[in-house]
Amino acid sequence: MIRMGWRNLWRNRRRTALTMTTVGFATAILVLTQALMHGMVEGTARNATDTFVGEVQVHAPGWVTDRSFYNSLAAPRPVLAALAEAGLPAAPRAYGFGLTARANKSAGAMFWGVDPAAEAGAFDLPASLERGSFLTAAASREVVLGRKLARSLEADVGSEVIAVVEAGDGSIGNELFTVVGILQGLGETADRSAAILHSDDFNALFVAGGRIHEIAVNTRGAVAPDRLEARVVALARDADVRTWRELLPMVSDMLGVLDASLWIFSSVFLLAAGLGVTNTMLMAVYERTHEFGVLKALGTPPLRIAADVAVEALLLAVVATGIGAGAGTAGALALQRWGIDTAAWAGSTSLAGVAFDPIWRASFSLGALTTPVLTMWLVCVLAAVYPAASVARLRAVEAIGRT
Amino acid sequence: MISQSSCRGAGGSGRVMLRLASVTKEYRDGEVVVRALRGVDLEIGAGEFVAMAGPSGSGKSTLLHIAGALDRPTAGSVEVDGHDLATLSERELARLRRDRIGFVFQSYNLIPVLTAAENAEYILMLQGVAAAARRQRVRELLAEVGLTGLEDRYPRELSGGQQQRVAIARSLASGPALVLADEPTANVDTATADSLLDLMERMHHQRGVTFLFSTHDPRVMRRSHRLLGLVDGRIEGDGAPADLLDGRL
Ligand SMILES: Nc1ncnc2c1ncn2[C@@H]1O[C@H](COP(=O)(O)OP(=O)(O)OP(=O)(O)O)[C@@H](O)[C@H]1O
Ligand SMILES: [Mg+2]
Repeated sequence: MIRMGWRNLWRNRRRTALTMTTVGFATAILVLTQALMHGMVEGTARNATDTFVGEVQVHAPGWVTDRSFYNSLAAPRPVLAALAEAGLPAAPRAYGFGLTARANKSAGAMFWGVDPAAEAGAFDLPASLERGSFLTAAASREVVLGRKLARSLEADVGSEVIAVVEAGDGSIGNELFTVVGILQGLGETADRSAAILHSDDFNALFVAGGRIHEIAVNTRGAVAPDRLEARVVALARDADVRTWRELLPMVSDMLGVLDASLWIFSSVFLLAAGLGVTNTMLMAVYERTHEFGVLKALGTPPLRIAADVAVEALLLAVVATGIGAGAGTAGALALQRWGIDTAAWAGSTSLAGVAFDPIWRASFSLGALTTPVLTMWLVCVLAAVYPAASVARLRAVEAIGRT
Repeated sequence: MISQSSCRGAGGSGRVMLRLASVTKEYRDGEVVVRALRGVDLEIGAGEFVAMAGPSGSGKSTLLHIAGALDRPTAGSVEVDGHDLATLSERELARLRRDRIGFVFQSYNLIPVLTAAENAEYILMLQGVAAAARRQRVRELLAEVGLTGLEDRYPRELSGGQQQRVAIARSLASGPALVLADEPTANVDTATADSLLDLMERMHHQRGVTFLFSTHDPRVMRRSHRLLGLVDGRIEGDGAPADLLDGRL
């Protein structure tokens, strides 16, 4: 009898309001924390991949361990063409070690030969500058330096830097570059060593003949990681294809730990919310012991009493979780849009060579509502049915009390 | 339903509606044991109209609860409408209460969230009677107890006497064989008590329902056809009200 359950809810408005507030609040907080957790994990992963690492990288077999200039991809052009064909954004890169010098300062550097247009299409790298600008579309002897490398050279935008390298043909490459940009903090390795050149300049400096050591693919989450890896493997048959989780195992592990600890946290929270709701429901049911006694005396079977209370609890839960889920969704969407600026208390953070965005954004999906809402329903019904069943098991006189 | 008219008022049809044999009931309150019933033997025939009197604490409510299958005796046997209660499960007891026994409480005990009509309808709903038939029967019943026009009021919107009328209608809705009433007139004034008694008597006559009710009020006792006197958990008197009351007073 849904009508009876509904009227029972309205009977003690204050208590119902209290229970509903508890349930609604718990639901809202659960939705919000889930979205924040999801956002943190997703944001960290995005952070790790979107700047320059990518979701999947393609190398010649063995390059990841030896980083040899000569061990470049056998046939990079067809792979790049196929990736473009498949609509998967990708950027080709070549790497070579050498020295940079300015006045009486010098430092070792890892030169990157990049295609500025491709980088801009797939990555945030061209926008990740502390000062200056990124390389222009055409080669013009420009260089973008890692921030610590720039500091060791005492170089700034406009400075001239000499590059001295051992070229691919065994000669010594030697060229003068103008610093056009300084990268923002991207992690220790890039900060200390990156000297980014236009691929044409790189080829001239290293006599590299168009070598490509790395193709970094990044769909910004548009393609699921497993499927992306499978597709790239199919396109680049003889190459070594790795996901960012393999390339950045520390970040990947940290995300695993984060995921697990957030999962534990939300379980504990769910438990606490469940206990709060249980408590209110217990009170609400025990308060009506006498009435259940009367129903029993009239011949209501115990199961029927429990079922009626379950219906009542479910009604309450549906309304309260509806409101709570609405509020939680609104909050989550707001935090997804604007985020929480953690810079104030966390400063700038970097882990395993990857810098993190100090803005912590939530990530909300409708699917994220299912767990909190269903859990609250379950908690409400169990919390109501348990005491109702124990009351229903009493003898009618015991429940009615002294009349 | 049994069809007889004249002999009912005089003291029953011969079929036994309620039988208590050596019934005792003890309440344990920590160390203290209260012996509320100390060996009650009682037989009430189908169609009787019986009152039960006795000082406070003599065990009237206890007896009614046990007779109504709301509680189990500590010892002894109880038989209602041919069913030995000791042999019935909780489910079967609930079914017996639903179908064969009506209970009227001193404090009405209506379900506050249900209207007068819905309260009276409740047991019919448990019995699975179709909604239309239910409504029809309840409208007639409420008319019989004099509540026409008040069907949609909630208990809090009714006077004590009106609430007790609803409670009586509720106890009769399922067509029970036995109605047990624990001080049904204790909370109402004399005029209302009289009209409630009129109602109970009319239902008894029209429907052949067996009534057993407790009371402290000599006026109410006099209107019964048989009076039981309960003292300290034992039946000390059993007979015509006039004999018992005049003998004692
Ligand atoms: N649940 C209980 N626990 C302990 N003692 C009880 C309980 N119910 C009744 N008693 C005791 O049993 C005895 C009989 O009580 P009962 O309520 O049957 O008397 P009564 O005749 O109905 O009294 P009253 O006229 O006041 O209604 C009393 O001494 C009472 O205190
Ligand atoms: Mg009593």
